[in-house]
Amino acid sequence: MKKVRKTSLLIVSAILVLATALAGCSGGGNGKNEPSPSPTAGTGSNNSGNGDAAEAPSDIWQLGSEPLEFSMYGHYNWYDVPAWDSTVAGRWVKENKNVNIVPISAGGNPDQKLSTMIASNELPDVIWLDRGADVERLREMGMLVPFDDYIDKYPNLKTWMGKDLNLLRSSDGKLYQFPNWYTGRPNGNAGYVINKKIYDELGAPTLETTDDLYDYLVKVKEKYGDSVVPFEPGLAKDLQGLGVLYTAFGENTLYSYLNEGIRAVPQGDQLTSLFTNGTFREAQKYIAKLYREKLISQDAFTQTADQIEEKVMQGRVAVFAGANPTVSAMQAHQEMVKQDPDSGYFMIWPIHKAGLDKNKIFPGTYTALGWNVSVITTNAKDPEKIFAFLDWYTGPEGQSLLFFGPEGENWQGFDEDGHPIFTDQYDADEVLQLQKDHDPIMWNGNTGYIDPAKMKYESKLPPEEQNWAARYQSTITWPTQANATEFINLNPLPDSELGIKKTQIDEIFTLAYAQSVMAKSDEEVDKIWDKAEKDAQNAGYSELLAYRTEQWKKNKEIIAGN
Amino acid sequence: MARIAISDRLMLIFIYTFLVLLSFSALYPFWNALAVSFNLGIDTSKGGVTFWPREFTLENYEIVFQDDRLLNGFMISVLRTIVGTVTAIVMTAILAYGMSRRELIGRNYYMLFFVFTMYFGGGLIPTYLLYRSLGLMNTFWVFIIPSLIGVYHMIIFRTFFKSLPAGLEESAQIDGCSNWGIFFRIVLPLSGPVIATLGLFTAVAHWNDWFMPSIYITNEKLLPIQTMLRQILNANIVTDMSNNLDTASAGRIQAMRTITTKSLTMATMMVATLPIVMVYPFVQKYFVKGVLIGSLKE
Amino acid sequence: MPQAASEHQYAPLPAGQPRRKPNIFVRIIRQWDIQLMVWPGILLVFVFAYLPMYGVLTAFMDYKINTGSNIWANTWVGFKHFEAFFNAPEFYTVMRNTIIISLLKFVIGFPAPIVLALMLNEVRHMLFKRIVQTITYLPHFLSWVIVAGLVTAMLSTENGSVNMLLMKIKLIDDPVNFLSLPEYFWSILISANVWKEIGFGSIVYLAAIAGVDPHLYEAADIDGASKFKQIYLITIPTIMPVIIIFMILAIGNLLSAGFEDILLLAGNPVLRPVSDVIDTYVYRVGLANYRYSYATAVGLFKAVISIGLLAMANYIARKSGNSLW
Repeated sequence: MKKVRKTSLLIVSAILVLATALAGCSGGGNGKNEPSPSPTAGTGSNNSGNGDAAEAPSDIWQLGSEPLEFSMYGHYNWYDVPAWDSTVAGRWVKENKNVNIVPISAGGNPDQKLSTMIASNELPDVIWLDRGADVERLREMGMLVPFDDYIDKYPNLKTWMGKDLNLLRSSDGKLYQFPNWYTGRPNGNAGYVINKKIYDELGAPTLETTDDLYDYLVKVKEKYGDSVVPFEPGLAKDLQGLGVLYTAFGENTLYSYLNEGIRAVPQGDQLTSLFTNGTFREAQKYIAKLYREKLISQDAFTQTADQIEEKVMQGRVAVFAGANPTVSAMQAHQEMVKQDPDSGYFMIWPIHKAGLDKNKIFPGTYTALGWNVSVITTNAKDPEKIFAFLDWYTGPEGQSLLFFGPEGENWQGFDEDGHPIFTDQYDADEVLQLQKDHDPIMWNGNTGYIDPAKMKYESKLPPEEQNWAARYQSTITWPTQANATEFINLNPLPDSELGIKKTQIDEIFTLAYAQSVMAKSDEEVDKIWDKAEKDAQNAGYSELLAYRTEQWKKNKEIIAGN
Repeated sequence: MARIAISDRLMLIFIYTFLVLLSFSALYPFWNALAVSFNLGIDTSKGGVTFWPREFTLENYEIVFQDDRLLNGFMISVLRTIVGTVTAIVMTAILAYGMSRRELIGRNYYMLFFVFTMYFGGGLIPTYLLYRSLGLMNTFWVFIIPSLIGVYHMIIFRTFFKSLPAGLEESAQIDGCSNWGIFFRIVLPLSGPVIATLGLFTAVAHWNDWFMPSIYITNEKLLPIQTMLRQILNANIVTDMSNNLDTASAGRIQAMRTITTKSLTMATMMVATLPIVMVYPFVQKYFVKGVLIGSLKE
Repeated sequence: MPQAASEHQYAPLPAGQPRRKPNIFVRIIRQWDIQLMVWPGILLVFVFAYLPMYGVLTAFMDYKINTGSNIWANTWVGFKHFEAFFNAPEFYTVMRNTIIISLLKFVIGFPAPIVLALMLNEVRHMLFKRIVQTITYLPHFLSWVIVAGLVTAMLSTENGSVNMLLMKIKLIDDPVNFLSLPEYFWSILISANVWKEIGFGSIVYLAAIAGVDPHLYEAADIDGASKFKQIYLITIPTIMPVIIIFMILAIGNLLSAGFEDILLLAGNPVLRPVSDVIDTYVYRVGLANYRYSYATAVGLFKAVISIGLLAMANYIARKSGNSLW
């Protein structure tokens, strides 16, 4: 066993060295999110060329030189910050870096909890929450500490995130948000999952265009009647699977255009009305047709996640689409092949309207800013020290600790890219368990750093042995998710005049959407959306579009590099 | 005579049938939850688990009871329920008795004073700030003191007290009994049913409350079982909302586990609800008919 | 000290002089023992309910929560939020739904627990009675999340039990999409509510029925009265005070037509024109956007109307001798 491991490790390392050598050669200055600087974490020396003078500026705080304790709060009703010494990483950090974190729980009631904390001015030191409105609220009330003075002193964040960091700045130009899972690499799982058994039984027809899909669904209905749902859109009231179908009708038509953060379609350099948009109307008519002919689950708008899961697990869906179908599909697949090795699910390249370029169809999106952020409040006694910790945490040392455990066990030292070098004792199962345990304390994940470290292991396996999701990730979903970073932050403040209008327009949209899916004819679809457009215009849609166009332009400028 | 008997009989048949049907429909969700809580989560998500576990397992409960703070939470809940209920019932009943006496001067104004609070309130933030300034934060008393008087319950008590025969009080007065004496020695003992009912309502409210602790308590030792269970659920939830791990890793981890959110939810629900549900059967014996008989010995 | 139900006897005055009632404070002090029963309660309620009540004023401001209790640091905007609510396009729909749903819940949901209590009262078999009592009150303990999940599963067009049953007995050919058709929503909502609360709600009435003198039933039996008559002439009149009080309170709550139940059962947006009530509307449009003052203003509006309704109901009930004041 050990011998095999050693040789394979050798091969892996050799490939690594080769890969990094090649990477290092190609376009050095463009390595936005896979840079190869020498990341020696902890010391914050400015990367001014090479051969830096050994003196570290005296006002940079060394993590671990003094004890640091702060409180942490997760603003979600499904999450609690775990006790700090309940995890391997937590204990290691406590012992070796002298950092202790005190959890504050939302108790299932995040909105009320946060309000009371704000009203009584007893905020936790660090809050972990979604980007956007909540952060702005706190900032407006003067409760957040800006990071601008710190990002050069503790450079991991700046280094690994690059220019995208500027997109996180608030309207006053300062930086308050420490992102989580920021990355320039495409990620995401939106797409179409196909039931293998049904597909085989129907003769494995081509499934590439929207017409192919329609024909296929009709055949499914004919053969299986009521026992199988032809097209399962998931939680349609959240626009899920149906939003994916929308993307089939136009090149570069993004799912996010339907979300409450955009609700518009870019044309040229303007954001224009979604309601009157031709591609959108076409998609809606197609969807309405499918629904009318009972080719889409009739429970689409009312079902619960449990019901959907049940159907998928039992193999009672022929085509399953959504923003994140892979998790349940993978689980179902594994259970199904246990009973019948010919069953299960697989994914296909995204469906597109006939005549469109299939490489320009994107069922899903991602942003370079990742998922959520941490903020430091004015209640914190040592904001700089906390930032120093967060910065260390997001750097190679912190990330390797979280993903692979303490140094000296599964890994030892870093290679030229700064990735951890796996040791002989590398235990894949233990690593998996560690990742699962550390998941709740991964507050500022550095995807750009960690994914290459992980993929080394995964991608060398032949496709059949690869983990179901990993395989489809690399071959289908990741290549077909579009970068929607330029579309962030397009919302006005919720309690402003424009914000109130936006809510009104959202109400119009969600109602019209459900109605148009259940429409009885193409004409009715048009009627519904014409009326919706009128109502939206009355509510101030053009003003909203103008505002969003402004913000979008600003984003693009920042992305292009100031 | 025969005609009456038939209509009575039909009515009884109808009543029994209806009650049986209602009982089955009311029992099913709980029975099902029990079955699911003893079933392997991953198996439950395939659907079809109704009355019996298909793949029996104790692991859902293992996760729940693993947490050694659970016992503490249970004790806190029990203590809170008992102390809270007894004190609230006593205080509210005394208030209601006073309010039921016709000779109480100002009783209509007092009534308006109380009823007003059922509709108008300051909201969470002023209440929170008040409790804070009273030093109730993070203490056991925050569970007890603010809920000593329940206006709704006071109204119910008052209605009952008012319906007691006036002769009762008069004869007691003639015997030289004070008002407080009448209350404790005569009225209260006769109020078995209403005390049992409102005691049950109060106990249920105290037991089920998870909102208050989430806002006012940070000390772990004072958290009741409801909050603990919620935390256990959160800690073990299999969620794809936490996009932290890429799907591949998440999927592999998921393959290792057989617990699902649903199975764990059912287990926590059972633990949370069974204790309080069991209280009612004990309370039923107070709903005895004819408690007033013999009290008006002429 | 012995006291008659009415006021003290006064010492007889010399003839010709008008009788003067003692000063009110004196009278209060004379009945100090009864007053003592109520004053602790009054103080407690004052502290815990009235002291925070200044929060109501934030309905007239643009309240920022970081001002905490220092509410006067916010800008006064008068009736702006009220106007925003009255002028909202959904206002009429929301008000209409609120009233209709509330009335339906009242007309069907108010008598239901009473009827159940009366039925249980007729059951002679003690064990059966106790078991049924315990079981029927269980649904009260289920969260609406679970109940809504059950209802959704039952009404599903794909293997939902209701559709399966109806198709089996040939009443319909295709499954009916109950939860996506506005015409069914109110029935579904009311039925779910009644089922959930009927058991728990009947407890109070059972307690009231326990206070009925059994001799009255015996006498009625001797007279040959049927069960129906007995219920109608004995049981119901005896528990009437309880019923009336609850009825008054229910009328006062007319504008609270539900929240969690509607939120969870009306998932499909097409139902909004019939399902949106004041509380769901404010939640979606107000609170989700941190418009606290707006939400407070609507709450205040509800409270004012509710008190008005309560006063009206109380006035009407006074004639029966059972009222709140």
